[in-house]
Amino acid sequence: MKIREDRCVGCGQCVTVCPVQAISIVDEKAVINIDLCVECSTCQRSADCPVNAIKFKRLKWPRLVRNPFSDVIATHKLTGIPGRGTEEMKINDITNRFGSNEIGISIEVGRPGVGTRLENVELFTIKLSKIGVDYEPNSPVSALFVDNQGHIKEEIKDERVLSAIIEFKVPTEKAPFVLQVIKEVEKKIDTVFSVGIVSRVMEDGTIPAMDLLTQNGFSVRPNAKVNLGLGRR
Amino acid sequence: MTHSLHRKGKEDDLKSDYVILAMRAAGIHDKTPEVKQIARQKLLRIGEIMDQHEPTNIMMDRLRRFSPAITASFDNIKSVKQILQVLKQEDLGISIVVSGLISEIQKVVKDVGLQMHTVHLSLGVFGKKELLPSEEILELTTMCGHHCVSSQSVTHYVEQIKKNKISLDAAAQELAKPCVCGIVNPTRVHRILNELLT
Repeated sequence: MKIREDRCVGCGQCVTVCPVQAISIVDEKAVINIDLCVECSTCQRSADCPVNAIKFKRLKWPRLVRNPFSDVIATHKLTGIPGRGTEEMKINDITNRFGSNEIGISIEVGRPGVGTRLENVELFTIKLSKIGVDYEPNSPVSALFVDNQGHIKEEIKDERVLSAIIEFKVPTEKAPFVLQVIKEVEKKIDTVFSVGIVSRVMEDGTIPAMDLLTQNGFSVRPNAKVNLGLGRR
Repeated sequence: MTHSLHRKGKEDDLKSDYVILAMRAAGIHDKTPEVKQIARQKLLRIGEIMDQHEPTNIMMDRLRRFSPAITASFDNIKSVKQILQVLKQEDLGISIVVSGLISEIQKVVKDVGLQMHTVHLSLGVFGKKELLPSEEILELTTMCGHHCVSSQSVTHYVEQIKKNKISLDAAAQELAKPCVCGIVNPTRVHRILNELLT
């Protein structure tokens, strides 16, 4: 993003809306800290700039990678949908991506609202690849891999994004190993991350993942997303 | 993959916070231009049904035109139940996901005669939690699944309300604006802002 200094009147509205606190007022003008900025375009969309001073600057590689991981309107080339995730469980009643003996896992690095360097993604993916997880092939994160060992492109590691979602599934019996990785990475990561677990629901209404999670020392929040099985091919 | 999943809040407060999402399936509902057009019409119909049941917020029109999904937020489970009854009856074949308290959704699903197919559970936040703002602020900012609502905009509006420069209602609407998906629930924002004022 770019703020035109010749137009800016220093009202500070963009400072207020910036989700990652990358904008400040210096000498009565709004200034973007380019290193902190995640290119989410929220300032341009939501600040109601009275003098139209906020512009989207054409991005070059590797900075270009920030935009699809941060801007809700940006459509990633791989997923074809706006946002940084995929369709995953939302259409599982149609795709059956997650079967009854599998657990889906989403690790959203940088959420809520702190942001992350992409190098933090690798803290997880190298360990997860050793376990042997089935990454969601259409996830924007999967497009960053350079090999099947979880390494990501060197030139993008320092790029900062609002959040990056590592999406994958494992057979249920492998899930405890993944939960162990979450505990290990938590000790060394320099940002926050939010974890989600996808599970099929049995015909009697029970959710097998619940027991597995509590047995491994994790508590489950009372609110969740529920696919109601109304979709069909 | 997470969108409306990681909404923070106490269980009592979450009783009045639900999101409904309808999504067409890529590679299936867009196989041909004709099939895609049918799915498009179905999504628009679901948007109409949502509109008829008093959503507190709904995806902005500009995004609805090209998005493969439609989303809206509701402040009561009764509206969710009524919408599910209509959707079951119309049998549009589009995937529907409801976000909210599992216990409440379970009851409604049973009443309407549907079955939960797949759940996405939240284990919460891990890592350097000292970087996070207060829980009350997170209850507001995490309502936007793409985190377009900043923590400083919350403190800004709290100050503005205290100075009588904006009403509580107007501040709740302003805080919901950056969320283009329409899943920030202004009724709940109003309530939490009120708590932050006292």
